[in-house]
Amino acid sequence: MAGDGSSIQEDDDLVFRKICSLLDPLNEKGVKLTRATDLVADLEIDSVTVLDVVMDIEDCYDISIPVNTISETRAIGELVDAIHQIKKEQA
Amino acid sequence: MGLFDKFEKTATLYNGLEAAGRNPFTVVMEEVLGPTRAKIRGRETVLAGTHNYLGQTFEPSAIEAGRKALAEDGTGTTGSRFANGTFSGHKALEEDIAAYLGLEHCVVFSTGYVANLGAIAGLVNPAEDVVLIDADCHACIYDGCQLAGAQTIRFRHNDPESLDKRLARVPAETKGKLVCIEGMYSMYGDIAPVKEFVEVAHKHGAYLLVDEAHSFGIYGENGRGVSEADGVMDQIDFYSGTFSKALASIGGFVASRHREVDYLRFGSRPYKFTASPSPASIATAGAALENIAGDASIRARLWDNANRIHAAFTQLGFRIPAPSAPVISILFDSEEAAFNAWNFLLEQGLYVNMAIPPGTPGKESLLRLAVSSAHTNDDIDRIVTAYHALASSLQQAPIASAE
Repeated sequence: MAGDGSSIQEDDDLVFRKICSLLDPLNEKGVKLTRATDLVADLEIDSVTVLDVVMDIEDCYDISIPVNTISETRAIGELVDAIHQIKKEQA
Repeated sequence: MGLFDKFEKTATLYNGLEAAGRNPFTVVMEEVLGPTRAKIRGRETVLAGTHNYLGQTFEPSAIEAGRKALAEDGTGTTGSRFANGTFSGHKALEEDIAAYLGLEHCVVFSTGYVANLGAIAGLVNPAEDVVLIDADCHACIYDGCQLAGAQTIRFRHNDPESLDKRLARVPAETKGKLVCIEGMYSMYGDIAPVKEFVEVAHKHGAYLLVDEAHSFGIYGENGRGVSEADGVMDQIDFYSGTFSKALASIGGFVASRHREVDYLRFGSRPYKFTASPSPASIATAGAALENIAGDASIRARLWDNANRIHAAFTQLGFRIPAPSAPVISILFDSEEAAFNAWNFLLEQGLYVNMAIPPGTPGKESLLRLAVSSAHTNDDIDRIVTAYHALASSLQQAPIASAE
């Protein structure tokens, strides 16, 4: 799932793009955002900020993403997959 | 090797603070001179960064009660509440707290932190329940959720509508729903709309836990907390608190109108597997409770002091994030600015708290001042004078945007 992040599928993935747009203002070092980008190691975003970004995602898609799920995700791609999964479950 | 690598970044930060001046996180009170004074670095300093809201640390009746408990019951219980460390003092204090709050049941824990840990982890079953917490809740509430291992959903700070949406999304097969908020939040001194939260929680069949650690003894006609001020003491489900602030001791409790709260005595690991508060801690908390319950003027003095300081800081042009409260914070544009200001105030003989991200709301850097009813006119003059000097120095070399 991770690996080379720049596949075409990502560009088509609206959730991926939504997350990137929320992370963009926090991306102080201008890191290229791919599915493999690690929120903590690559973007140096602290855990509370990740939770705040997730809250924006929750309100955007009208879903609830448990804190437990977030603490298990490190890469953007993992977060995207988790959101797709939850969207399916809570649809 | 490896085990310590994770500390490197924080250690660099802390060592940097040490090198740049004084480290706010390694202050030692070398000699305690009274409820609002201590010697720090050999110098008499006004304490406005401890949570001695009702100034009970040197109350003669509490000290006498502590002495008596030491002499009669010994230095420690050497046991846990569950197994071998419940004395008659623990039971009596549970009854006194329940009576003061007008809630029928109360369970005493070893600290306030442990009380929230014990309530959440004890009440919630990860297989079938869910916890919903205010985004700005204290670390112990987050840790309680983690210990419970249950699905934990955050809602926006002080936003009942945000909770409403999230409760509406909880799957129908979920059995129990527990909502956690605080009465007064200790970073900004802002208070929760408890009444609205009660309505939203109960509409969805959820239970509401209100952590009144910073508001117990302070808000409401009888000092029962923000829940009393909002007129919903008889509607909230669980009330948690601490002995280490208004009661100037150490220990914590969970009170409730539900008799089932007693199940925590066998269903809560933080109740069962740590030592109970020492007899002296219990006795001083009980004596302080008697003082503050019987004398509304203590609370009134705290509010007078808070209002005076809040008005003075407003006049000085600081960015203050909340109305007058026993916690009065001012915001800065950067961690460095807050650190410099903290050091400036200590130089002026005033001790407050510095708080920087990630433990702060909105990633703000701030100085937090905690007011005490024991602050004298002289203390308040020194507080205002020090902040005045800070405001002047910031005007000369602006490190905070004064609006």
